[in-house]
Amino acid sequence: MSALALLGAFGTLLGAGYGFLTLLARKETQLSLTEQIAFSWLLGTGAVSLLLWIFGLFVHGILLPGLVSIICLSLGLVGWRRMVPRPLRRKPNLFEIFLGIIVFLEIAIVFYLSFVHTLGWDGLLNWEIKAHYAFANGGVIPATYFSDSGRAFSHPEYPLAIPFTELWLYLWLGEADQFWAKTIFPIFYVIGTFLVVALGKRFTGKTWNGLLMAAFLFFVPQITVEVGSAIAGYADFPLSIFYLATIGCLFCATEPKNDAFFRLYAACLALLPWVKRDGLILWIVAAACGVFVILRTKRSSRHFLALFPGLLIICGWRLYLSAMHAPQAAADFLPMNLETFSSHLDRILPLFSALLAEFHNLPIWSLFWFVVAVGVAYLLGQMRNPGTPVLLNALFVPIVLYLLIYVFSSWPNYLEHVGLSISRLLLHVAPVGFLIILLAVSRRRVKSPAPVHERGVTCTMAVSERTPVVELA
Amino acid sequence: MTVRFSYGRIAHVLLWGGLAVASLGMSIPKIYSGVTQYPLRPTGPLHTCDSYLKFATGASGASKDLISIFQSMTASKRIIIFTRKDDAFSSGLGMTTAYLASPHLVRLFEISGTHPDNELSKMNPDELAAVVFCRVNRPNWLPAGKVIGSGLEVVSTSEKKVRR
Repeated sequence: MSALALLGAFGTLLGAGYGFLTLLARKETQLSLTEQIAFSWLLGTGAVSLLLWIFGLFVHGILLPGLVSIICLSLGLVGWRRMVPRPLRRKPNLFEIFLGIIVFLEIAIVFYLSFVHTLGWDGLLNWEIKAHYAFANGGVIPATYFSDSGRAFSHPEYPLAIPFTELWLYLWLGEADQFWAKTIFPIFYVIGTFLVVALGKRFTGKTWNGLLMAAFLFFVPQITVEVGSAIAGYADFPLSIFYLATIGCLFCATEPKNDAFFRLYAACLALLPWVKRDGLILWIVAAACGVFVILRTKRSSRHFLALFPGLLIICGWRLYLSAMHAPQAAADFLPMNLETFSSHLDRILPLFSALLAEFHNLPIWSLFWFVVAVGVAYLLGQMRNPGTPVLLNALFVPIVLYLLIYVFSSWPNYLEHVGLSISRLLLHVAPVGFLIILLAVSRRRVKSPAPVHERGVTCTMAVSERTPVVELA
Repeated sequence: MTVRFSYGRIAHVLLWGGLAVASLGMSIPKIYSGVTQYPLRPTGPLHTCDSYLKFATGASGASKDLISIFQSMTASKRIIIFTRKDDAFSSGLGMTTAYLASPHLVRLFEISGTHPDNELSKMNPDELAAVVFCRVNRPNWLPAGKVIGSGLEVVSTSEKKVRR
């Protein structure tokens, strides 16, 4: 019964996501199967959680999942009618098959790890708690939860993409089940590997490049086994995958007339602040990168509307919290103003030291940041390609902003505050680091933003191969 | 298909190959210990709460017991939870109890030491559904409550008249 319910939950979620994908991509762009699955999942989780929240303002009980299911099925039907074209098949070579098997085994291990471990501390008390309470209250978080000072430890002000995706499973299962709630996190890992493979193919024209990077994703302990990793039930890893999709799409959108990827960028961008509050910083950075691309590629001003859905979600959530009398300011931080900033300037150097120490924290990151640094050195010579500054800014600016936020830490020992959370914050941008390594390894040189034709493969066309074994690009 | 070799290409391959091998050498022991460290745990709707409670108190399947205790109390009244400052176990136990105490409103008190007499004496028992002690001693003047494992005690101050 549980398997059938899970199938229903995931099926409706993917159906909704696929419907949105077909509306965004239209028939002008070929998307590989892995891209279709990845974007369907990301858009599906965003859409279902938003629908549950919005409809939950008006209805609750059996009517709520009923209504959302009908919309999911309708969107699935739209997707079925408008199907996004897929590129032609090509037989994979032996190396690609080998890498495909490795990636498959790694995915199996991540699922195993996810079931072996319980939800992490924040996974239970910041995220799952909201799904649990909403399920017990007919699909709507009780108003008392937001104003209950005794439960302030669970951060009622955090957004609902992850809890309401868990809630969607609960509504289908008919009970709040912490074990099955964990299934969504290894799926985010699968989506991450799919995106790395697909973007690798688009960036470099070679399938093996993407497969190789996807295989290495597993070997960063912070992604697979550490606190806050893909198995812990925290929102950090899903946020990093949304950010990867956002920046990856924006990179592809730097090619002229690639509006399908620009629309996908806009959709993923909008969901960043809906996944985690820190997503607001990623939203600001990715939106600034988007503005840069619009100006640099001389797109029409209507493209600035891409920022509107995200702003709507940010403002909508703020208004909702105000209406619920939820605390909006984080207790961990002092008021963010110039006065506090100037009086705590002496923290900046120790903060940068702490960041550097984190970069060479080998048990957590292995050599990942060192490899990224080598990749960055490779890309510095390619700044004329608008995609390169996008990638570099998307990697570095959030790190700097995250670090500056600790200037406002209210903890007596602010470096302890840094030590507890910096690895999870760096995780948000780590997949973008993989894109940089990908470009550096492939030594792809782009002299102009014109489409690159390499064996008929471009970001615009994505003439990639589909086979039963390596259906991954 | 011909492959052209150049010093640059060879250096490129050597650099990235070396980095890949070094990364793997660094990561594999950590990943391996992460994969083999824990056995499969029993599944269940509350398996994370159960694991936390077992870890902190030694009691198995305590979540259901706690939920049924809280359900037997008047929902409109608040539950007070006492935890100890600088005791991560106590704090974790308190928050897990608060999680399970829904739909009751809760209030967490973090106290120095292990005797909450002062704080308790200021409270009106008519407004409380229960007092929970997480690795904190129950004052002698308060009647004994339901003890779960070691270090967790729930003292009910308002039980529903009718019990199933």
